[in-house]
Amino acid sequence: MNHLTGFRQIAATVIVSALFGCTWEETPIDPGQQVVMPDLPLGFPMPPIPADNELTPYRIELGRRLFHDPILSRDSTVACASCHHADKKMTDGLAKSIGIYGQTGIRNSISLLNAAYQPYLFWDGGVPTLELQVLAPIHDPREMDFDINLVVERLRRHPQYPALFRQAYDADPSPYTLTRAIACFERSLYSQTTRYDRYVYANDTSALTASEKRGMNLFFSERAECFHCHSGFLFTDFSFRNNGLYEKYADSGRARITLNPADVGKFKVPSLRNLAYTAPYMHDGSLATLQEVVEHYNSGGKNHPNKSVFVLKLNLTEQEKQDLINFLLSLSDP
Amino acid sequence: MKLRYFAFFLILSAGFASCKKDDHGETTEMVKLHLHTMVGNQAANYTSTFSNNGRSFTLSNLRYYLSNFVLIQDDGTEVPIAGKVILASPDEHEWELGLVPSGHYSGIRFLVGLDSVTNHGDPTVYPSGHPLAPQTPSIHWSWNTGYIFMMVEGKVDTTLAANGSANANFFYHIGLDQMARSVSLSGADVHVEAGGENSFHLAFDLLKALQGVDMRTEIKTHSMDNMMLAEKIANNWPQSFTWE
Repeated sequence: MNHLTGFRQIAATVIVSALFGCTWEETPIDPGQQVVMPDLPLGFPMPPIPADNELTPYRIELGRRLFHDPILSRDSTVACASCHHADKKMTDGLAKSIGIYGQTGIRNSISLLNAAYQPYLFWDGGVPTLELQVLAPIHDPREMDFDINLVVERLRRHPQYPALFRQAYDADPSPYTLTRAIACFERSLYSQTTRYDRYVYANDTSALTASEKRGMNLFFSERAECFHCHSGFLFTDFSFRNNGLYEKYADSGRARITLNPADVGKFKVPSLRNLAYTAPYMHDGSLATLQEVVEHYNSGGKNHPNKSVFVLKLNLTEQEKQDLINFLLSLSDP
Repeated sequence: MKLRYFAFFLILSAGFASCKKDDHGETTEMVKLHLHTMVGNQAANYTSTFSNNGRSFTLSNLRYYLSNFVLIQDDGTEVPIAGKVILASPDEHEWELGLVPSGHYSGIRFLVGLDSVTNHGDPTVYPSGHPLAPQTPSIHWSWNTGYIFMMVEGKVDTTLAANGSANANFFYHIGLDQMARSVSLSGADVHVEAGGENSFHLAFDLLKALQGVDMRTEIKTHSMDNMMLAEKIANNWPQSFTWE
């Protein structure tokens, strides 16, 4: 007998015992640990999902629970859900969000629906992933005023969380698993199929009214210029633009990250889905209604050296303004 | 019987794998960095009152990142130590840097701060206790994803005549990619050899890092909100490290 044969025998033994192992200890596959695909509306492409944080029911449920738990804040009063309400499409209806100790924040709460597609987070794009984003509100003295290591200590002492983390990630609560779980939940949140989507992706020509269709044509025209920045299925190209809201900005926006004077007053172009539920508008919630938003763009905005070339006086008629608003509302979930 | 051979084979191959460190026939040794954090000629601490040009101040937090170490041999050969990051503070003064070939070393080069890739990475992927993992108190800006390269906090006497007590808060948070500074020291004679101490002895002097900073008026910077002050401090870093 040569060595090769001996090795083959050993390999066979290993394989056979592995097989027996399976037969003896077989447990039913736990559906909570199975990778699931997000439930996407009509026409939406598959979002990028990191290999180390695929969606499973246990992870989504753990993230959902953490998202609603004020345990993340120093005095256990503020949860992620405090500023992202499900009935307002994951915004809070306020101009600027209220954080811990009743403090008013600096910006308007952005909807988390379709966050999986965002190439960077926040109005200034300062954070590249949903996982990393979790650190910011926990540490912000105006939001949760806490420390991720101290959150993890609380979670490890909790009667239920350690088991839920092991079920979801096969690991204890840690900065890594905590940020993964919340991001995983956020990656499971999408808008719904709208009448506009039925018109475009299902060729349902009766899905939009005549006024909405006129508004749509205006929206995609060189006359109103909206589509240059509000492009694609989410109606944003994720660029940073100054839309002429102010002559002098209290919040420097993108320049806060880049320190580049050419970025002062630039904010990430927001999605236009679900505007019906997400007033007030703009990075600081300064425009209360869609009428005000359309009037702002119709006026061409204030003068600012960084203002986008697409923000200019439009001279829209009253009917055109109403058509545009009607079209924008057709982008909202039913 | 066969399994016993197999186990033996496994152990043998594991043994071979661990010998590969010496693949050029050289022996390698663990070198250490010995670094004292000083305020002038006093060891930095969180209880003493220090003096900066006669102005008294105390410290409550002094931490700084060192990375991208390169050890330089007598003949100029550079030995980079990949991936090693140190979070220095008055509480600690010795770190293992890594395995390097035995020989005579005359210099060291490193970065105060982090390279841009490490700086914008995800801190939560590092195990607890790693210098790049989330620290308490935090030394990371979570809203623009970057580490604070040097954090100096304490209280200072801000009276005009510098004859009061240190009771006004000051903080210097120096970060952002463009603040990283390379420090280069030469002229040492460190023998790295089996059984040797194999340590590079350095000192960082906070007073040198604060040279030209008027601690009466220049009392705060988060870097991005006071770039002039942050740059003034960062520009002092290369002269703030000496052989000890």
